Amino acid sequence: MQAEAMGKISRRLRLTLAVASISFVIALAISPVKDMLREWKRYKRDYVSFAQTRPDTKRLLANYSPDIDQIWIPEMGVVDRCTTCHQGITQPSLPDQSVPQPFRAHPPIPHRVREWGCTVCHRGQGAATEVAEAHETTLAWEQPLLPVRYIQASCGTCHRGDLPETPQLNRGRQLLGTLNCVGCHHLQGIERSEMLGPDLTNIGIKVSRQWIYKWLKEPRTVTDSSGNVTLNGYDSEGTPPRMPQFRLTELELRALSGYLSTLQGNPVQAVHFDPRVVAAWSKRPDLVDQGELRFRQMFCSTCHSFAVTRAGETEMIGGDIGPELTKVGSKVNPDWLAAWLRDPQSYLPHSRMPRYQWTDEDLYQVTQYIAAKLNDADLLSGVPQLGAPTQAEIQLGRRLFVDKGCASCHLVEGIAPQHDLGPDLSAEGGKDLSQLEFGQSKVPRNLITYIQTKITDPTSVNPSARMPFYRLAPADLDALTTALLSMTGTPAASGLQKLIVPRTEGSFRPAGEFNRVYERYKCSECHQFNGVGGTLAPDLSYEGSRAQRQWLISFLKNPQTLRPTLVLRMPQFNMTDQEAAILADYLGVVLNSPLVDPSKIDAKSFSPEKVALGKQLYEVKYQCQSCHTIGSSGGYVGPNLSNAGNWLTPAWIAAWLRNAQALVPGTIEPRRSLPEDEIQALTAYLVTLRQSGKSPTKARVRNGTSFRAGSESGGQQ
Amino acid sequence: MDPQRNAYGSEADWNDAQRVVLLNYQQAQGKRIFYAQCVWCHADSTPAGPSNRSNLKPIPAVMNDGTVLNAESDEYLQNIITLGGSAVSKSAMMPPYGQTLTQDEIREVIAYTRAIAQPPYQPPAHPGSKYTAK
Repeated sequence: MQAEAMGKISRRLRLTLAVASISFVIALAISPVKDMLREWKRYKRDYVSFAQTRPDTKRLLANYSPDIDQIWIPEMGVVDRCTTCHQGITQPSLPDQSVPQPFRAHPPIPHRVREWGCTVCHRGQGAATEVAEAHETTLAWEQPLLPVRYIQASCGTCHRGDLPETPQLNRGRQLLGTLNCVGCHHLQGIERSEMLGPDLTNIGIKVSRQWIYKWLKEPRTVTDSSGNVTLNGYDSEGTPPRMPQFRLTELELRALSGYLSTLQGNPVQAVHFDPRVVAAWSKRPDLVDQGELRFRQMFCSTCHSFAVTRAGETEMIGGDIGPELTKVGSKVNPDWLAAWLRDPQSYLPHSRMPRYQWTDEDLYQVTQYIAAKLNDADLLSGVPQLGAPTQAEIQLGRRLFVDKGCASCHLVEGIAPQHDLGPDLSAEGGKDLSQLEFGQSKVPRNLITYIQTKITDPTSVNPSARMPFYRLAPADLDALTTALLSMTGTPAASGLQKLIVPRTEGSFRPAGEFNRVYERYKCSECHQFNGVGGTLAPDLSYEGSRAQRQWLISFLKNPQTLRPTLVLRMPQFNMTDQEAAILADYLGVVLNSPLVDPSKIDAKSFSPEKVALGKQLYEVKYQCQSCHTIGSSGGYVGPNLSNAGNWLTPAWIAAWLRNAQALVPGTIEPRRSLPEDEIQALTAYLVTLRQSGKSPTKARVRNGTSFRAGSESGGQQ
Repeated sequence: MDPQRNAYGSEADWNDAQRVVLLNYQQAQGKRIFYAQCVWCHADSTPAGPSNRSNLKPIPAVMNDGTVLNAESDEYLQNIITLGGSAVSKSAMMPPYGQTLTQDEIREVIAYTRAIAQPPYQPPAHPGSKYTAK
């Protein structure tokens, strides 16, 4: 009985034991099976079968291991497991689009994946082992992948200077400067520009209260004869207006315009024209036409834009260094205009406008032209009649001026700019989602839409925002976003800090007589000198080695373009002979390249045989005429060489043929390894090309009415 | 999602301005180099105005002309850009760029050319691969 009972028990026990052990085995198996089914293991297996379909299977699988791969760079804090799935990333044979992701090779970039990892540029979670966690924002991870369109932001976290490979980032940084974002925000590595918005110290003598009212309400619009807005003051693809919209109420508009119209520090000294000039010209029917011709010869459009209507279409032409002038004749007080043109710095000491040498005749004609043609009688038609402002309006206006942050861009005596008006943005690009305030707005919750919404419609994410509204072209908005994303603050990992490549700063501080002329004509607004200055016109750092003194003087007196495809933009300043000589002498002595050594070139050795050989090389072997013009035939790409013998120094020609990029980085002259005797022969030939002073110059000046200011990159060619 | 967010750059089709070609990193760098170096002779209009193309004889191919360029291999294009026209028995008016541009930069220009080609460029297929792009 006992045995029977025992048997019963043991049978039950055995059953229990059997169930327990089976479930134990199943439980044990769960983990390995789960492990087998991990997402990344599937990619590992897929890669093997993919590699087997390729001709170079062996090489593709040379470093294969079935485990997690990771790039570990302790000093940068990089633990990137991306290569676990992206296994072909360094395989040179897998670059093309036909290779399925995630196995495609990374496009060739200046950095090597093994030395940098992935998240340094692409963001995301390097340590994650699941697709979603690595790429997107999840509950546990905050940092999503950076969309490729904004990837240049990552270059900018270390490279604080401009790189040729990152045009979008460079444009964004430029916009941060020109829109004067630094006026209110703290930004990494962006300098506060010297010239911000116009100085308003004396604005009351320049424009009327009505005009200020109109401007504050709607900056810059161009309307056609029937009153329709044809242009919002800027090209859709051109530069945005620097003045944003503040969306002021009627009361605020009246107060602010009232306050500003009372700012009348120094009355202008009216220009007294020679009565004989006025008598001779005021009745002549061609007065305005002559004024227009002078206006064009002075190349005002190099810096200023205005709207022109051609074949029924209105477009903006001209540069963006100075303000837009379409309706300036109806805007400014005529006495102020003449005084300003004669001597801009007496009204505004830091003005960037050159001080032209005017004759009374020229000045009279040009002011008459501006008053007659660059105007719009209906400019102020929608503006209510505003009399003298009341005390209450002036006081409210002044308070508004301070509150709205006007002083961050505009100078007014007695109101100091407040630099911390807006939040610090120097770490904006690295912010986590939890640090961003979206308010009631319905936009997708991520850093990029946050930045873009904040720029275009600040009050939608924060109703009490003081930031004004900017209208930007989509490409500019992306560029600005890229630049802001690049500002990730000081990197936490010490290794990354060491990698920061600072912006290189140029230095050029001329003195003496040269400085006086250089400052007067504002040469560095367009030209670069040893890394200082604008990029509109060629870099003149080595001009002394390049051009001959006599040629420089005649060019300064009467500029002409050397490149058929480029529009001349150099104004004719009516310089005196003495001023031109001062500039030419300084360039010749100071602005030289160490690579151009005149003692190495012996012009006496240029025999007729050498010249003939050079001509042969030019025309047959190297066919330079495909890009350069001599006489009336040749290409449009390089400068016209018809006058090379009078223009260029022989030493420069030889050094240029040896290595043009060493003299002008980025020039498109193709570099060739010419043997030294061919260099000598080509130089000998080119210095024989001379033109007598007269012909093309005169023709150009009299027809110098080309108004198009297309995009050119004169500095780089 | 906006497909342009995952493209490094873009370019309007030369023959049809409405069609936007999305560019990857390599092609976008090629575009930058093309507009600096090549556009003057290999396009009908340039950022600075008139093209130099009509001044040249023989007239060079427009860079998106697939009827001419699709037939040439990447290796051939790499060669003519690196060594110049005279090295491959073509016009010496095409200068050598082997010392002005790096080999990677020349590859980028070719990648850009392929991206904008009309009719579109088909890369030579890899035989027997079951993995083909969608």
